[in-house]
Amino acid sequence: MASNASNNNTENKRVLTKRDITKLGLRSVLLQASFNYERMQAGGWLYSMLPFLKKIYKDDKKGLSESMQGHLEFINTSPPIVPFLMGLILSLEENKENRNTIQGLKVALFGPLAGIGDAIYWFTILPIVAGITASFASNGSILGPIIFFLVYLAIFIMRIFWAHTGYSVGLKAITKIKENSELIAKAATILGVTVIGGLIATYVHIDVLSKINIGGGHSIALQKDFFDHIFPNILPLGYTFLMYYLLKSRKWSPVLLIVLTFVVAIILSFLGVL
Amino acid sequence: MDITLTQGIILAIIAIIAGFDFWLEGLYIFRPMIVCTLSGIVLGDMTLGIVAGGLTELAFAGLTPAGGTQPPNPILAGIMTVVIAHTTGHNAATAIGLALPFSILMQYIILFYYSIFSVFMGKADKYAAEANTKAFARITILPMVIVALTYGVVVFLSGYLAQAPMKALVNAMPQWLSHGFEIAGGILPAVGFGLLLKVMLKGRFVPYLLIGFVAACFIKFGNLLPVAVIGAACALYQFYNDKEKMQLESRLATSNNGGDYEDGI
Repeated sequence: MASNASNNNTENKRVLTKRDITKLGLRSVLLQASFNYERMQAGGWLYSMLPFLKKIYKDDKKGLSESMQGHLEFINTSPPIVPFLMGLILSLEENKENRNTIQGLKVALFGPLAGIGDAIYWFTILPIVAGITASFASNGSILGPIIFFLVYLAIFIMRIFWAHTGYSVGLKAITKIKENSELIAKAATILGVTVIGGLIATYVHIDVLSKINIGGGHSIALQKDFFDHIFPNILPLGYTFLMYYLLKSRKWSPVLLIVLTFVVAIILSFLGVL
Repeated sequence: MDITLTQGIILAIIAIIAGFDFWLEGLYIFRPMIVCTLSGIVLGDMTLGIVAGGLTELAFAGLTPAGGTQPPNPILAGIMTVVIAHTTGHNAATAIGLALPFSILMQYIILFYYSIFSVFMGKADKYAAEANTKAFARITILPMVIVALTYGVVVFLSGYLAQAPMKALVNAMPQWLSHGFEIAGGILPAVGFGLLLKVMLKGRFVPYLLIGFVAACFIKFGNLLPVAVIGAACALYQFYNDKEKMQLESRLATSNNGGDYEDGI
């Protein structure tokens, strides 16, 4: 089939050097530069990769614009291992993969990576390192802070390794992707959309505190006795769909929705509903 | 012992650097272990700094920003523990408790920033659409700089200028306001997901969104890997179905026009 021709293409298209990928590993530290609750790490994620996207798209302003917009969508993952994901995604960008494939894979991978990263870095390494170094420090030994610093310096330098690993995993996958690019774009979107469903259930929090008195000293807790009995997380799902509807069908701007969310949250907090 | 102006300024500079680091989670010099040690050195009592670092680090080891929650601020906890121990003569363990209001104040400021920085994304979207990389870089770096400078100001005020008024400020904040920001922070990702769905969701993908949602509701697990595996199963199922269909179609096509398949598929 068409696989021979596409193999040749992938060879020609490589514009990123080993040095670039090393730089990517270091730049990945900017992931949370413009962190916010609406899109979390999206700004920093794009900013970390921006010089390399510029190199890939060169004079293709339209391509760069599409890529930038794609990478400005919601992302939240574990900072110490994000270079892996950046390397992987950048290898796909370099080969001008289908935008849906890139988007779908990114969305599908960042959530699980976040969980794995948090489990390793926050819940395993930090308690161990903190425990050991604190025992030195409690005796006034300078070894405590020095060991602590060296461990995290090593974790920082590991970012370079993760970037190269992600990039080469991506390169290996590309030939396979090329053969069925349309089908894979669709499959990647399915994977991504499934994970978004999970993200809604885990990231959006709406807990109603109100209780309704029904006389005789009895009351119904709206969240526990009502909403949770209909379906858990029904409010986050409903609110997300409302946002989707207002953005897509009503063309409301995201900023308006953010301000609206704020005002509603503070008023409902004042009234004791949320 | 009192803190001199020079010491106050150096502490503020440490806070700015550590503030950058905490915002980015880069080198972990924002952890009390390092911040306390540095503060101790600045105040001329390194041993106090190290001992306070060990104690505060343990006290804060369980308070992590993992999973999007913001714990009481480790930088303010670190610096103020050492400052209070140094100025009042309390031991480090007591000073940790006295430093807590400052740590909570900074926690609220950061929560506030997390929420209002969402507003910058509109401009960022515009610059991305125009492929204006310079302007995009500016709008992305701006929040980080605001945060770091805030650390400097708060530490200078708390450590050098006005310890008592700062503490009063923490106690004066109405509960409903800080709680309101907390709630907004919990709901705002819905806007981000709405934007994501605007790009990715088509009618025929809705079933998968619902499957993922239901799976995450009922599989109680620390991360989304099970959901991703379910998603991968759906994706593979669809992929092989489509591929089979495609091969069938191409076979039909070739049998119809006598082996002409130079276009590949």
